[in-house]
Amino acid sequence: MIAVPSPPKASPGASLLAFQQWLSPAFPTGGFAYSQGMEGPMAARELRDAAGVGDYLADILRFGSGRVDATLLCHAALGDSDADALADLALALAPTAERLREIREIGAAITALTNALNGTAHPPRPHAVALGVAARGLDLPGAQLAAMFLQAQATTLVSAATRFIPLGQTEAQLALARLAPLILDLADEAARTPLEAIGSATFRADLASAAHETLDVRIFRT
Amino acid sequence: MLDAAERISGAQIHQRSHGCAEVVIAAHANGARLERLAQAGSAKAILPRIHDPRPEVVFLNTSGGLTGGDTLRYALRLGDGLCATATTQTAERAYASTTGAAQANVDLKVGRGGWLDWLPQETILFQSSNLKRRIVIDLAEDAGCLFLETVILGRHAMGETITSARLDDRREIRRAGRPIWIDPLRLDPDSLGRTTSPALLGPGRAFATLVLVAPGAADALGPLRATLTVPGVEAAATAFEGRLVLRVLARDGLPLRRQIARAVACLRPGPLPRVWQYQD
Repeated sequence: MIAVPSPPKASPGASLLAFQQWLSPAFPTGGFAYSQGMEGPMAARELRDAAGVGDYLADILRFGSGRVDATLLCHAALGDSDADALADLALALAPTAERLREIREIGAAITALTNALNGTAHPPRPHAVALGVAARGLDLPGAQLAAMFLQAQATTLVSAATRFIPLGQTEAQLALARLAPLILDLADEAARTPLEAIGSATFRADLASAAHETLDVRIFRT
Repeated sequence: MLDAAERISGAQIHQRSHGCAEVVIAAHANGARLERLAQAGSAKAILPRIHDPRPEVVFLNTSGGLTGGDTLRYALRLGDGLCATATTQTAERAYASTTGAAQANVDLKVGRGGWLDWLPQETILFQSSNLKRRIVIDLAEDAGCLFLETVILGRHAMGETITSARLDDRREIRRAGRPIWIDPLRLDPDSLGRTTSPALLGPGRAFATLVLVAPGAADALGPLRATLTVPGVEAAATAFEGRLVLRVLARDGLPLRRQIARAVACLRPGPLPRVWQYQD
């Protein structure tokens, strides 16, 4: 492994702005094109209103990819963690071909962009790990990184649902805002969760992601 | 073997049980050769056809089920070039526990050029059960496997509804020491309570994951998808990087078993393990 000299940490204020920039929908990672398999239940009209979408997102965050990825992010953000082992773990945890592609493609985009912004030379790694590694130079606690990440994930999916179902803009944003207490709890937990304790119960979301491969009409890439 | 400690579990009195069964098999000119068989406590390993070119190993937990404080370990090591099937004699039962988790470990190693079909019978979770299990298949660089795990929440025929149980069931396949597939299933009363969620199990009470790890595994995706026709199941298959993953969900065990039997028959030529109590 080539040792990359780590630059001095940014100030807390500058860190907040930087991390917000990386999570912004305007950061060109192409995140808007992915639905994590949510297109399936939306197309099947299992998800058809803001309340249903809010509950679905809460389940994904609490019992599925949200919790898993937030934990990976927190571990990757620790300067002394093994980023390559975490990348292997993240790839092995991908439940379907499309989810694997999603975390790979978004992770590669994040790595390229943050390398350019930070003057680093990290190899491409999957989404949450790439983000955590880039955040090593930031002065933000893991729980805060995780909270902002989870909110960004939820924002991407709410935006997908707003366009697809469609939802009214205000009710969609209300559903997102209602997730805040859950997001804060999960972020706090993710910062304390050992890798060994990563777990998921989102069996039907994983089924839907696999079934998405054979949907007749697909708006989203995943 | 059995601790003197007794405790109440449901209406029954159980003794804490511990079991460990370890099997090592090597390839041999005329089939396979048993190198080691160690059995302790409630765990047994039966080798009905050890000298076949493709031997079968059947693990058995004689305690009848797992409850808090119990430990159970099955281990199997296949020598280079050996292909084998391993299964379990009966469904594993996780019984109600008031004394923490039962701990189960399944450690399976496959040597160079080897192959393992890990096709255990289902795990049945009872109300208030608590099972922590770690299943690891360690493949040599060019080895492969077919992996199945099935979970059933309660006994449907008895009208049981499971609202409170814990299952922390990490299934991990490694190649040359690196993880290539991990399914970190974790059920708890909170997730089990979300019975209307399109993200979790929904009304499903029986579910299975079948994974094929082999070069060209994706070639079987089309034929496998063609078997996904059993009424009463939700099933979807996906393939990526030498892995083929099938997930099946049903309201109860019967359609699930029929679908699994068809899928396994598609991916694995020859008859199903003889101890399976269901055939298509």
